[in-house]
Amino acid sequence: MDWVIRTFSSSVGKKSLMAVTGLGFVGFLAGHLAGNFTAYLGPAALNGYATHLHELALVVKAAEIGLVLFACVHVTTGLLLFIQNLAARPERYSGKKWAGGRTLSSATMPYTGLLILSFVLYHLFEFRLNPPEPTALFAFVANYFKSPLNVTLYAAAMLVVALHVRHGLWSAFQTLGANHPKYMPGIEKLSILFGLLVAVGLGFIPIFFLFAVNHVAG
Amino acid sequence: MTLDSKVPGGPIEGKWRKHKAELKLVNPANKRKFTVIVVGTGLAGGSASASLAELGYNVKTFCIQDSPRRAHSIAAQGGINAAKNYPNDGDSVWRLFYDTVKGGDFRAREANVYRLAEVSNLIIDQCAAQGIPFAREYSGLLANRSFGGAQVSRTFYARGQTGQQLLLGAYGSLSRQIAAGKVTMFPRREMLDLVVVNGRARGIVVRNLVTGQMERHEAHAVVLATGGYGNVFFLSTNAMACNVTAAWRCHKKGAFFANPCFTQIHPTCIPVHGAFQSKLTLMSESLRNDGRVWVPKTKGDARKPKDIPESERDYYLERKYPSFGNLVPRDVASRNAKFMCDAGMGVGETGLAVYLDFADAIERDGKAVIEKKYGNLFAMYEKISGEDPYTTPMMIYPAIHYTMGGLWVDYDLMSTIPGLFVLGEANFSDHGANRLGASALMQGLADGYFVIPYTIGGYLAGGGLEPVSTDSAAFADAEKEAVARIEKLLSIGGKRTVDDFHKELGHLLWNDCGMGRTDAGLQNALDRIPAIRAEFWENVRVPGGRADFNQSLERAGRVADFLEFAELMVTDALARRESCGGHFNEAFQTPENEALRDDENFCHVAAWEYAGDKKAPVLHKEPLTFENVKLTQRSYK
Amino acid sequence: MSARTINLTLKIWRQRQGEKKGAFETFEARGISTDSSFLEMLDVVNENLTLSGREPVAFDHDCREGICGMCGAVVNGRAHGPEAGTTLCQLHMRHFQDGDTIAIEPFRARAFKVIKDLAVDRGAFDSIIQAGGFISVNTGSSPEANSTPVPQENAEAAMDAAACIGCGACVASCPNASAMLFLSAKVSQMALLPQGRPEAAKRVLGMLRKMDALGFGNCTNERECEADCPKEISIAHIARMNREFLKASFFSKEK
Ligand SMILES: Cc1cc2nc3c(=O)[nH]c(=O)nc-3n(C[C@H](O)[C@H](O)[C@H](O)COP(=O)(O)OP(=O)(O)OC[C@H]3O[C@@H](n4cnc5c(N)ncnc54)[C@H](O)[C@@H]3O)c2cc1C
Ligand code: FES
Repeated sequence: MDWVIRTFSSSVGKKSLMAVTGLGFVGFLAGHLAGNFTAYLGPAALNGYATHLHELALVVKAAEIGLVLFACVHVTTGLLLFIQNLAARPERYSGKKWAGGRTLSSATMPYTGLLILSFVLYHLFEFRLNPPEPTALFAFVANYFKSPLNVTLYAAAMLVVALHVRHGLWSAFQTLGANHPKYMPGIEKLSILFGLLVAVGLGFIPIFFLFAVNHVAG
Repeated sequence: MTLDSKVPGGPIEGKWRKHKAELKLVNPANKRKFTVIVVGTGLAGGSASASLAELGYNVKTFCIQDSPRRAHSIAAQGGINAAKNYPNDGDSVWRLFYDTVKGGDFRAREANVYRLAEVSNLIIDQCAAQGIPFAREYSGLLANRSFGGAQVSRTFYARGQTGQQLLLGAYGSLSRQIAAGKVTMFPRREMLDLVVVNGRARGIVVRNLVTGQMERHEAHAVVLATGGYGNVFFLSTNAMACNVTAAWRCHKKGAFFANPCFTQIHPTCIPVHGAFQSKLTLMSESLRNDGRVWVPKTKGDARKPKDIPESERDYYLERKYPSFGNLVPRDVASRNAKFMCDAGMGVGETGLAVYLDFADAIERDGKAVIEKKYGNLFAMYEKISGEDPYTTPMMIYPAIHYTMGGLWVDYDLMSTIPGLFVLGEANFSDHGANRLGASALMQGLADGYFVIPYTIGGYLAGGGLEPVSTDSAAFADAEKEAVARIEKLLSIGGKRTVDDFHKELGHLLWNDCGMGRTDAGLQNALDRIPAIRAEFWENVRVPGGRADFNQSLERAGRVADFLEFAELMVTDALARRESCGGHFNEAFQTPENEALRDDENFCHVAAWEYAGDKKAPVLHKEPLTFENVKLTQRSYK
Repeated sequence: MSARTINLTLKIWRQRQGEKKGAFETFEARGISTDSSFLEMLDVVNENLTLSGREPVAFDHDCREGICGMCGAVVNGRAHGPEAGTTLCQLHMRHFQDGDTIAIEPFRARAFKVIKDLAVDRGAFDSIIQAGGFISVNTGSSPEANSTPVPQENAEAAMDAAACIGCGACVASCPNASAMLFLSAKVSQMALLPQGRPEAAKRVLGMLRKMDALGFGNCTNERECEADCPKEISIAHIARMNREFLKASFFSKEK
């Protein structure tokens, strides 16, 4: 087993853990995205989707456990990398200019990561404490997004997620060695596209509720 | 002392085989009882260190740079020769041998050159096995290209970075031995003296360039692979740290210096731009395959090159050498550029440049073809000059590039000090009076991989090497002397910088002992050098301290040695009453302005013995006998 | 080559040999020819410092033609200065304007200690190569060179990687001070060649562990190394190395 520890404690090993768990989250996000999209279709669709999910309780439980495990790995490894990387340059440059490789997204990974973590914890805490009825989910959400604070928080969180994913997705491929001149350009575009989708698709939901749903209803 | 080259008897094809069979061997278990010092990690020193360690010797390796990978060999561009005959164009060991002897204007030792050609193929095998990414054909087999001075295509290459790749190969092997504990690597060390005990080379004194500490290292034999002395001219294509110090210190301890006046000037370099220029950049010789060299017909014509009509241009190489045209050998091309500029036809701001024009080639083959062939060189030219060679002709001028002279060695590559072996550019052995392109890399690796591992064994097995202590007087004295010099340099506190003296010396040598030498010029240099040297020791300013990372001090020591060595170089040039290869004394030329040899009186190696301060060096001659090739006059008409 | 001359203000990092702390010092560089290289500009500054009785600025350099990898500093926030694909020795002053202020500081990383001023110790790179960056072939034991063909495409790709000059700019410009581009250039070169395959697993594991132990950071695919590499080596080589690492870790017997 020695080799397992050696593998995962090496820099590329740690990065591979980040990549695999990250890709897991991207998968989850894609599912979540698809589910939440039903909100745009109205109360019946969203409530139907939620009820359907509830019926799959076992699968959901398994997925939850998986996600929690992944989160533990992703967060602790990420923090470790962050600290090690800070330590790798004890004396900073007086004024470093980036040469064009770095993006806003890549430069902020640890921070966006931590923000996402806090948001997810908050999100879970809130909903676990006061779980909505699946059949009345639409109403619950509509009510929730009556608060401008909640709207801003949620929309902002989705922007942060988008930013994280925009670097994380292609980066995971690169880390796992999947950089091929034929496919890499596509993967890079996909990362941007996916980021946009998250930002627009999910980030727009609260706004949709605030203006379209609650306005009509109210 | 008579010079014994120890060339084995018998026909030339069998000499090396015979010699290897006759050399004494060191028992494998005993090899670990011997320590060998290798100074230098270029192709010669790097390959020697690795190969000796693989055999089981303990090796201590030294270099000036922070890493053995950065030795000057890294800068070689063009390629490395070998007699593989892959292109099926008639090459053979014999032809490579013949071309090298002839290219050297018949001033090299036949037996050494033959051995070089003989092991050339093994080098390519070795390098391919090391993972050197040589250029390849679509078949996956090795590609060749042509180089000057040969009618066959025998040059192996890795883009324009052959030296880098070969050196990294040797560095890899060296690194493996460092990891295995067989080589102890001492980077950022400068050898300041050789220690001779009981008439044998037994150690060195070095300065740790980071801390300034002096260190003493003992061994059973010392291998010197410290490269060439081209920087005596200040401006050259050599790296900044190239020096004569190590060789010169050995010379002063008894090693003869051979043919110091044989220096090579490369015709296609980027011209000097100003007083603060620190070095010159080579543009590969391959450019002359497609570029046409010209100057304006009228003196001082200041028009832009494109405004000078065809009829007012002088394509002087094509005019003077109709059959070889722009592809005459290096020495001829260089000299002609100088003639033109001396006659006032030179171009550019300084008037010390000629055009190398690709307009015809671009029109003929299209820009894409030219770009594929020379893209990286054109880009480098543009980076340095700020001009686009696709639209305006390149400006080029000759520059010092290589030194054929070096410490005298016998067939075993041992100098006149027993136990001191000299490899690579630091020795004088294989190139005579002019080196052909792509053969220095070959020689460095031949010496390190395939010659020294055998010959050093013969020496070590010969016995008589009692243990020595670094506490002994020989070491203490050498160190004391080195420290005294350093202290002296630091204490002068004069008004001129080291570089200033170096430039003055370089300028003098370039004018008087460069491409076209005259007795009057050489005499002038001989008069001036001692004066510059004297002023140096009174008026140089070396800032900083001894126990420090002090680059000014490093340079000062090297320039001090150049100032001594230069005198020997000029003395040698004056003593050789003929022209040959890179040594061109204007008094000795054919009616067509070619070098005129005097085979009757000067078919020898001039090996100089140090006789002491303020004493004239003593000349020893090793006669060169040519049993296998016929001496002829080179002609490129 | 129409040269102008320019005047510059330089802020140069000064740090004594053996000391842990340093600071910026300001110098004026007057009458610098735009034809000269960055290092030649520093030469002029140093000549003047010497004559005025001050200590010149220490900086490493040797070939001055962009191949030995000895030179390097962070100039105005960029490793080897602002021009792409250029070492400091090949950076020419025509890329600067009269009156510019230029900040010059050493490559910084825990694994690269400052020796003095702009000179740093990159010995860690040698240690990484010693941990496996070679093919274990003894002199004289090699087969005939053409007995192992190498597809031209692979030879070319290997050469792209082998162009690395080991200058350390990748580490200097990496936000994490990681040496992955350097490492991957060697691993990738050898992975692409049949001669390098027998030791491929051992090599990548050995070199990577060495890099980690030496205190370099972890790659987070920021691509700054690629952008500042004077030889423009692609991060595709890092991906190849990652692949080699995973292969070696999970499918080879190497531990
Ligand atoms: C620009 C250029 C291009 C070239 N292109 C080609 C080509 O295409 N083909 C070809 O065949 N040849 C070429 N040459 C020539 C060839 O590169 C050199 O002759 C050859 O590399 C010399 O190798 P070397 O091992 O003898 O010495 P070097 O590579 O010069 O190594 C000298 C070593 O000695 C060390 N050293 C020196 N002095 C001391 C000291 N006092 N103390 C401690 N260490 C010391 C240095 O640190 C270094 O490690 C070229 C040369 C130049 C300048
Ligand atoms: S000095 Fe050699 S790369 Fe700059």
